[in-house]
Amino acid sequence: MQTHREMNFDALVVGGGIAGLQAALDLADQNFKVAVVEKDASIGGKMIRLSKVFPTLDCASCITTPKMAASAHHENITLFTYCDLKSISRESDTVLAARVVQKPRYVEADKCIGCRQCEYGCPVHVPDPEQGNFSMRKAIYIPFSNAIPQIALMDVENCSLCGKCAKVCPTGAVNYFQQPEELVIRAKTAVLATGFRLTPLDQKPEYGKGKILNVISSLDMERLLAPHGPYQRVLRPSDGKEPDAIAYVQCAGSRDKTLGVSYCSRVCCMYAIKQAMLLSGALPLADITIYYMDIRAFGKGYEQFFQNAKAMGIEFVKAKIAKIEQADNQSVRLRYEDQEGAGAVMEREHDLVVLSLGMVPEWHPEGICPVGCDTDAFIRTPMSRLSPTLTDMEGVFVAGVAAGPKDIVDTIAEAGAAAMEASNYLNKLNKKAAA
Amino acid sequence: MNETDKKSQKEALKALRVQRKASIERARNAVKEQNKRVKAIVAALKDGAKTVPEIAAATGFSTPETLLYVATLKKYGRVGEGPKDGDYFKYELLESKAGA
Repeated sequence: MQTHREMNFDALVVGGGIAGLQAALDLADQNFKVAVVEKDASIGGKMIRLSKVFPTLDCASCITTPKMAASAHHENITLFTYCDLKSISRESDTVLAARVVQKPRYVEADKCIGCRQCEYGCPVHVPDPEQGNFSMRKAIYIPFSNAIPQIALMDVENCSLCGKCAKVCPTGAVNYFQQPEELVIRAKTAVLATGFRLTPLDQKPEYGKGKILNVISSLDMERLLAPHGPYQRVLRPSDGKEPDAIAYVQCAGSRDKTLGVSYCSRVCCMYAIKQAMLLSGALPLADITIYYMDIRAFGKGYEQFFQNAKAMGIEFVKAKIAKIEQADNQSVRLRYEDQEGAGAVMEREHDLVVLSLGMVPEWHPEGICPVGCDTDAFIRTPMSRLSPTLTDMEGVFVAGVAAGPKDIVDTIAEAGAAAMEASNYLNKLNKKAAA
Repeated sequence: MNETDKKSQKEALKALRVQRKASIERARNAVKEQNKRVKAIVAALKDGAKTVPEIAAATGFSTPETLLYVATLKKYGRVGEGPKDGDYFKYELLESKAGA
């Protein structure tokens, strides 16, 4: 480690997605000093990577970016992006200490102006996971167009060390010798907002183990639908064809004991319907089919959203897909039981198939933070009925999908609740100290 | 940067190149392969706008790989989207070569 810094805050927020940012803003607005620790090079979490949100079809970027900017410019919030959280432990009755490693970007954050000259100059192309690996970035790059902060970072594993980035950088920000930096962040309270990832695309052998062309994940489809997506339009990834027939396979990663995910991920029905509606707009002539076990439209306005989708001509087929196979002409064949008909085994082909994968925790606290987890691996909330943001560690609260699958609306409401619990906890500590 | 600084920077870079020898070698080989592909796709498009399957047929690359490169060349402003031909869009060379 090159350096070691120690800092004190009132609150530590782990995770810079929408839950973490909402909790941080709510605490910062009450005049508490907040540190947000994020593992990625940009804040914004999954939400900034989405195209639109249900059921209002608001542009995800348009409603996430203001919160990201507000957090970045708030006088009481300090962002620590591209960081590894090594541990959170209780140092005393009133202090939690987080050991964090700031990973090297190989670009000086205070010098980089985000002009992307380094990216344009770099000769190495690397598949870009931010775009579902459907297009490539460079070995030195800005994570994505609306990333905050707009600071480049270098992927040293793919860097040829040719020196072009340093040569073209107008501010001399490239630093090939940057080292990780150890930070100790002390705070009186913490909010865990570590979010989710999707179950793997290659998990189910009967769904082709991720090897079938034109079978993609729901987050991949978000990128295809996003204005800054890899093709700036919806094309099938195998050959650039504009798809005529698109299918959604529901419960492809949830409600399935064989995958160890027996729970419902709660948002897949609604995001599939949302994507189907967006596809209807982008490709008015395309046939869009959703194969579902049952539709769970639980939130405000969700049932109407589902009814609207049916009225738009989106086909809903009640079936659990049994098998997915590669068909001729790079199409995808789905096999299922016709549950609403004679119960026969049916086969249908589609140009593009989207797996509505389930949600699993992005972060596992074991060995890092002594909070407990439930059998589903999400963070345990011992008072889930009355105080759903409390964990089994005093002074540590949880918000968003870190505690269990939920949609953006519930995530934001829960983040506000976690901030309120944290605020009450801080006020109690302060009163005790003053007494 | 004075002469001494320049010299020590050069020495440090040399040591770093030794330290990262394996990944540098991999990256250099990747660049060579990528440049071949970009050159072949650009050559195919010099005859006029083409769809991804047409580019793939002209270059001998697979269609998924061709689309990956076309999307990348489009992102960095070297290729633009042209008119639609059946179910496929045609892609054409642009004047600017920024970043590709």
